[in-house]
Amino acid sequence: MKKRAFYIIWACIILINFNSKAQMNFSKDSLGLYSDTVFVTANKSERQVKNISVPISMITGKSIVQAGNTRLADVLREQNGITMTSGFGAGVQLQGLNPDYTIILIDGEPLIGRTAGVLDLNRIAVGNIKKIEIVKGPSSSLYGSEAMAGVINIITDKKNTDALSANIRYGSYNTKDGNISISKRVNKLHAQTFYNYYSTDGFSVRPNSNNRFITPIARTTFTQNIQYKFTDKTSIDGSVRYNTENIKSIIAVANNGTTIYSNGNENNNDLNGSIVVNHKFSDKIKTKLNTYYTQFKSKQDLLTVSGNPYNDLFQQNFKRVEDQTEWKINASLNSIIGFGWITENVNSSRYDNIDSAKTNNIQYAFNQWEWNNGKKWVANAGFRYDKNQNFASAFSPKFSLMYKVNTQLRFKLSAGRGFKAPDFRQLYLNFTNAAAGSYSVFGAVEAQKVINRLMDLGQIGNLFSNFYQLKKLEPEYATGIHVSAEWEPNQSNEIQVQFFRNDINNLIDVQQVGNYISGSQIYSYLNIKNAFTTGFEIETKQKFAKGWTSAIGYQFLITGDKDQIASIKSGTVYTKNDNGTSRLLKLSDYVGLPNTSKHRLQAKLNYENTKGFYANIRAIYRSKWAVANTNGNEVFDEGDQFGAGYITLNYSMGKPLKKGWAIQAGIDNINNYMDGLNLPNLAGRTFYITLKYSTQK
Amino acid sequence: MKKAIWKSLVVVMTSVFLFSCSKSTTTVVAPLSATTVKDLPADTIIGITPQGQPFGTGKFTFYSLEKNTIIANSDSATTKWDLAFNGTKILTNSGNSGSGLGGAFIQIGLFEELKTISSDSVFKTDNGPSSYAVTFGSGRGWYTYDPIKNLVTPLAGRVLVIRTASGKYAKVEIIAYYKGGATLAATAPDAEKISKQRYYTFRYIFQPNGTRNF
Repeated sequence: MKKRAFYIIWACIILINFNSKAQMNFSKDSLGLYSDTVFVTANKSERQVKNISVPISMITGKSIVQAGNTRLADVLREQNGITMTSGFGAGVQLQGLNPDYTIILIDGEPLIGRTAGVLDLNRIAVGNIKKIEIVKGPSSSLYGSEAMAGVINIITDKKNTDALSANIRYGSYNTKDGNISISKRVNKLHAQTFYNYYSTDGFSVRPNSNNRFITPIARTTFTQNIQYKFTDKTSIDGSVRYNTENIKSIIAVANNGTTIYSNGNENNNDLNGSIVVNHKFSDKIKTKLNTYYTQFKSKQDLLTVSGNPYNDLFQQNFKRVEDQTEWKINASLNSIIGFGWITENVNSSRYDNIDSAKTNNIQYAFNQWEWNNGKKWVANAGFRYDKNQNFASAFSPKFSLMYKVNTQLRFKLSAGRGFKAPDFRQLYLNFTNAAAGSYSVFGAVEAQKVINRLMDLGQIGNLFSNFYQLKKLEPEYATGIHVSAEWEPNQSNEIQVQFFRNDINNLIDVQQVGNYISGSQIYSYLNIKNAFTTGFEIETKQKFAKGWTSAIGYQFLITGDKDQIASIKSGTVYTKNDNGTSRLLKLSDYVGLPNTSKHRLQAKLNYENTKGFYANIRAIYRSKWAVANTNGNEVFDEGDQFGAGYITLNYSMGKPLKKGWAIQAGIDNINNYMDGLNLPNLAGRTFYITLKYSTQK
Repeated sequence: MKKAIWKSLVVVMTSVFLFSCSKSTTTVVAPLSATTVKDLPADTIIGITPQGQPFGTGKFTFYSLEKNTIIANSDSATTKWDLAFNGTKILTNSGNSGSGLGGAFIQIGLFEELKTISSDSVFKTDNGPSSYAVTFGSGRGWYTYDPIKNLVTPLAGRVLVIRTASGKYAKVEIIAYYKGGATLAATAPDAEKISKQRYYTFRYIFQPNGTRNF
């Protein structure tokens, strides 16, 4: 069955290839590396790709459309060096670092609304995206908290001409997706409207698990942008984005072995709005004043079989005012100075009181210097300082250097420090799970206060020594070093090699700090762990005759918890033999951090002719990763439970029809690989067909 | 392997020869071998409460390490038993659990490598319900409990050093908490996790001569 599908696809490609006698045209910048294409995320200002001294990658809107992707998670899953994680939605793992450590921006503004540190990237529709820019390595020197592993910036398509486009898609699992985008220009006013609706009957089938369910989801996204140009020197740009999703689920809670089923309805809303004023004082100095507001609201209602309702509410507000001034000192020197103020507040039913908002205020300033004399060297240095109300302040420096040997070969070196602020959950959580074992988790700010009160009430059985170590949490830090080489020997070949090493200190981890009289555990958060991720990435792109292109990416990744490695080396970590007896754990048994895979490979073959017909097949491989500790120690080793390595194959093809119409069809996960337990976000084989209309070519 | 046996034999023989020349009379003791107890029931599940809590009869299973046998519940007040099992709780015949000379502590290390109980070791006694010689609770004594997967996993590298009711010494390693002598897979059905739990498989060495050496 699998083979047959494969042959049919290739037959299609070959057939169409023979039919088209057309000549191929090569666009000179399609490989992208040395191009004049503008890239904004790396320097927080528009720069040409060839002048950026940190490792970057870019996904064009065209490649997203041709791959038939509809959600951001689907797009990123196919990129080199990126793994999508499951659990609390689809999170992004960059170079082995958890989803908490990558900041996601839309047009430069951060998205909020993380659950257990994970921002679910299925929330983001990609129907109106011009390109996605990715910067790898710590970028807190410009973006502050969360930009530890890197930055993913989604640049929406802000056309400045009149245009209308729409598409409608239908696929397996009764999945419907529709987009409308309109852009209109009236004199000095440009406006773009985007609307997306997505719904699916769901697919999450987990064998042998409590959660035997499919989750029907419906999502709606609405975006409105308006730009008004007063003069050539002054413009104002306003945008609003609203996203709402409804997830229906049957949730199973295991209570000491019995399972209680509940009907759940989860509703997540996020709203983002920004007003940006741009002003050029002169050719040398320009400034950007930016006001941003975003809100994330999540509501979960559960009705258990016994009729007991359970509500979970979470609401987060984020307000920011930032000014950024760019000063072109001379032809080769440029400086950016920025400062800003953030106020964030959260209400949650999992904190002590839903009505009392937890607040954090941050004041920050950053400064960046760029030197580029248009010859062989490009240098960039900068820093940012964040003063936080509720936790220790953070200083984030960064330095990068590029050497252009010639027009074909370049070397880059960058080093920087990134940080992630403790989140509200780590500070304020006040949660007792009555359903499973009555354990409690208290945020670091709450823990001592709450536990001392419980102590007075005589409810505390015993406290561990780390209870007395509880204090003001510090941000988590990462120091990253990247060395890369980029080589484009000719117009048709390109290769990039990149080595990376990230050292993460002060990792916040949940730890047991004591017990209730009943024996149930009490947990809180401490800065205790130190970890690293290291490895390399290779990416090649080739152009062949007659419109064929291919791309191959590979990532090799090693991760580890430094303290655990030290314990293993000192001979104090044990593991279980198959027969249940214990033995000493060897370092060679150690596999590092959970959810990280040693090998990741992707390959893409694409065909496109001058008439606009295209077809592509993409393969993604991920090697095994540790999911759970099952053999009686606290480290992940070969004896633990793993998710099995797997391959998925995706295929899509499309063709323009007459009068602005186009059609696309594809199959995701052709080989129908499913692992409901470890990959709940991976749907089985999915067929889809899309009909598009556009007034523009 | 064979070589190693020969080598050690040579070493033993030489030392026997050397020591027998000296004045002190050393008797060569046959090495103690480990005994494995398989699937010892410890208040197995007989039903589930309407609230979803599985339950047993609440009774302990009493065990004599000296005799390697289960002791009747009617003898719970005697010094015939050394350990008593109920769910994840293990009692020693000491303190407020029993009238014996028992006690215990948990040593981090390997079962085979514990040759001598060091003289400065402190044996704890039971003082239920607030403290037990074999520390009770997930991650604190001999096991961890994962509430999401609903599994009890014995910790690797934990030796239960036991003082028996008669004041002699034994060492114990818990191998599994589920019937069949192996921890169930995380993916095992809930029904199996309920019906197969509370069956201990453990190995132990009891030193009958009263010394702290194994």
